[in-house]
Amino acid sequence: MSEALWQKLDGRVTFAVPLLAILVLATLFALICAITLVALVSGSFPMSATDALQSIAGNPPSDMAATVVWEFRLPRALTAAMAGALLAGSGAVLQTVTRNALADPSLVGVSQGAGLAVVTVLVIYPQTPIGLRPILAFVGALAVAVLIQAIAIRRTGGATMRFILTGIGVAAFLGAVTQAMLTYGDLDRAMTALGWLAGSVHAAGWGDVQVLCISLSLLIPAMIWATRPLAALRMGPEIATGLGCAVTRDRAALIALSVALAASAVAMVGPLGFVGLIAPHLARRLARSGPGLHLALSLATGSALVAIADLIGRTAFAPIQIPAGLVTAVIGAPVFGWLLLKRQH
Amino acid sequence: MTGLRFGTGAIALAALVLAFAWHIAVGAKMIPLGTVAEALWSYDETVFDHVVIRDLRLPRALMAVAVGAGLAVAGALMQGVTRNPLADPGLLGLLAGASFAVVLGTFTGLTGPAAIPVLAAVGALAAASVVWGIASAVPGGATPMTLVLAGAVVTAFLAALTAIMLLIDETSFEALRVWLTGTLAGRPGSAGLWAMGWLALGLFIALGAARQVTALAMGDEAATGLGVDVKKLRLAILASIVALTAAAVALAGPMGFVGLVVPHMVRLVVGHDYRVIVPASAVVGATYMLLADIAARMLLAPVEISTGLITALLGAPVFVWLVRARL
Repeated sequence: MSEALWQKLDGRVTFAVPLLAILVLATLFALICAITLVALVSGSFPMSATDALQSIAGNPPSDMAATVVWEFRLPRALTAAMAGALLAGSGAVLQTVTRNALADPSLVGVSQGAGLAVVTVLVIYPQTPIGLRPILAFVGALAVAVLIQAIAIRRTGGATMRFILTGIGVAAFLGAVTQAMLTYGDLDRAMTALGWLAGSVHAAGWGDVQVLCISLSLLIPAMIWATRPLAALRMGPEIATGLGCAVTRDRAALIALSVALAASAVAMVGPLGFVGLIAPHLARRLARSGPGLHLALSLATGSALVAIADLIGRTAFAPIQIPAGLVTAVIGAPVFGWLLLKRQH
Repeated sequence: MTGLRFGTGAIALAALVLAFAWHIAVGAKMIPLGTVAEALWSYDETVFDHVVIRDLRLPRALMAVAVGAGLAVAGALMQGVTRNPLADPGLLGLLAGASFAVVLGTFTGLTGPAAIPVLAAVGALAAASVVWGIASAVPGGATPMTLVLAGAVVTAFLAALTAIMLLIDETSFEALRVWLTGTLAGRPGSAGLWAMGWLALGLFIALGAARQVTALAMGDEAATGLGVDVKKLRLAILASIVALTAAAVALAGPMGFVGLVVPHMVRLVVGHDYRVIVPASAVVGATYMLLADIAARMLLAPVEISTGLITALLGAPVFVWLVRARL
């Protein structure tokens, strides 16, 4: 029993409440909180859970504990969780709009476009304020998305695979340009850019958290708007037109939304691979639901995923920090292979 | 027809010789072509330029020739045998497999001049099997698209593991970081000689099997009808591809898209006879690699960028164009 019926006005109006999905969503939130707590207590400075909670509440056991929690571990955990949510939302929207189960912002070059824009600025104008980065990333990512669409589109349809393959080619090209930029640039600046490119949250501070919060608060209303066109478009363009959806306009708006979501995450933590691919599939497997709730589930799943990936990355081989992007790639690539095998024709 | 073919062949060889001489002449200090010829024919060790040419520039040019020829022939064979215009040692995961194996070998302390090509060969073979296995298990079979997707996913996975190993072991990180982007800047030493052996073996098999690859490119049935033992031929070609890829990776690291671009250029001129395509790919591939390496050294001089970046910059648009035009 995954749904409950909720009747109003003497049974004249009935709502189907997706109990299971809501339960899963609540569990995911609890999981994210738990991971955050584990992230707060694990590391080279030993700390108990009560100490960590006390520090957050405002009466830390020592100054050292306060610094560790407030300056290092908390912003890092929050950055990981929010970036994961943004990437997962991007992947979920992109997969529904392109009706392609394999779509992922980092696979089709969108993340690399954002990455190139940010690296260019990091190397050439290192004084650029951090708040401008998402806008730059968005411009770069959008340009790449438009380019891929223009190359891959063909009137006769069947463009889904071509879309991915074109994306792989464009991603390779942009990756090479970015690498060349790093070789050319000043070594110190290049090292900053290099750490960022691996998809790492290890240097996250409150600046990143602030920018991610602003991005999320701007983009969540857009995602709420997006649930209606998404619900129509996932039936295919013909049925969506029949349902009264302006397909061309809505599709463009949704792709722009997906690009914006990916760009604002990439701008802060670098191109974290495969999160946008895995999270929506995992969410669907956890609970079947309508497009709106699925989007929310995807956000929560992506958030938990990156939080776990970062936790693994920094504890597995401590004191060496493995960037979260590498952990997500190691988890995500086999998932991609499995999705490829399961693909329906 | 034969006259035309010899004419084209002569032009290709002349281009190779010119690119070779230019490659040696270009660098931090421009050396006139006359001095280059002198250093090769009448070497005088008291002349500084001669020493530079013999010790630094000639080995690098020879490495470029070997890597370019090996990768181009490997790509041509892959495209012929799998009848897939998008086949390339990089795209189908062989380069990632080979470099992963080399890094793993360094990580576990299993290195030595003779071991590196062997490791690279084992890695390339394993990656090729996994990619082929995934692609043939996909509903619809091993189409060019599924092969490239499987190759991309295996590459992503191995690249992440490679990066993790390099982070854990900082000493090998320093040594291998540049090598992993595909570069000709290193000094090959005795490992280079071993790699050359593998290259010669691969080229030998490739040239011997070229005639039958033409038949195989028409389809398995047609090839069997023409008297080709398809299974045996496939194994021989696979051995050749693995040997060539291993040699190229051992010499210069993963160098993407060379095996994709060169055979397509060659086919535009010489048609579809693999007896011509294989040697022509070797010559054109060597020239292409020499020119790419010249660009890598000249483009942002005095800074040198990795040659693998140049081949990716040139090759990725060709790949996108092939996806658009052929699929």
